[in-house]
Amino acid sequence: MSKNNNLIFKGLSIVAWVIFVGLCIEAGALVVNFIFSLYNPEMVKNLYQKLDLSEMYNRSKWAFYGIYSFILIIAVLKSYLFYVVIKLVTKLDLSKPFSSFVSDQINLLSYYTLSIGLLSYVARQIAKSLEHRGYKINALNQFWSDSQAFILMAAVIYVIAQIFKKGIELQEENDLTV
Amino acid sequence: MAIIVNLDVMMAKRKMSLNELSEKVDLTLSNLSILKTGKAKAIRFSTLESICKALDCQPADILEYRPDIE
Repeated sequence: MSKNNNLIFKGLSIVAWVIFVGLCIEAGALVVNFIFSLYNPEMVKNLYQKLDLSEMYNRSKWAFYGIYSFILIIAVLKSYLFYVVIKLVTKLDLSKPFSSFVSDQINLLSYYTLSIGLLSYVARQIAKSLEHRGYKINALNQFWSDSQAFILMAAVIYVIAQIFKKGIELQEENDLTV
Repeated sequence: MAIIVNLDVMMAKRKMSLNELSEKVDLTLSNLSILKTGKAKAIRFSTLESICKALDCQPADILEYRPDIE
């Protein structure tokens, strides 16, 4: 393995850690906000990053909890996705990349990415329909603006996972050739 | 698998141990063991040739086709 690759993987690992920590903070803040909003509806005015959903909460609690659940699930899934990325980057051995662990992790990555993409897409459509009914949801777009990118990424990762699966089969066959 | 490896039978006929065969055919004991236990997925012609030479036999003495019972 070249020195350059090593450096790239170290850099990737650091970037993944930074993003993971950021996403964990976001998910944690959203969970705490959610719990507080259950007991203290006053909190709804000032949610994570000054998000104000008080108008939606007052008009329909179902809409608020539905939309907020989507935000919460997507945030948690994103942080778990990066946890899997960290596990993959730290345990990946480039001199022997075709292991069942790597294949499983890449498969997992594709499933989580697809889940995030689909959930974001569904949430965006629901938010759009709520907008038609007069709800103000402009501030929520940041949570699901990248749904297509996630779906596309899931497809690419799935293809890579399948290539890895085939690679493992070939390596096993090679190992068992005498 | 439908291909049966009769290496142990031939070794017994020739009264040859696995160690001895491994030295003669220049294969590791673990690889010979994989072949003997039927775990191998493929065998190189060069390996087959050296085993046949060491055991003084034909490939058919080592490999046998027996259809799977379904």
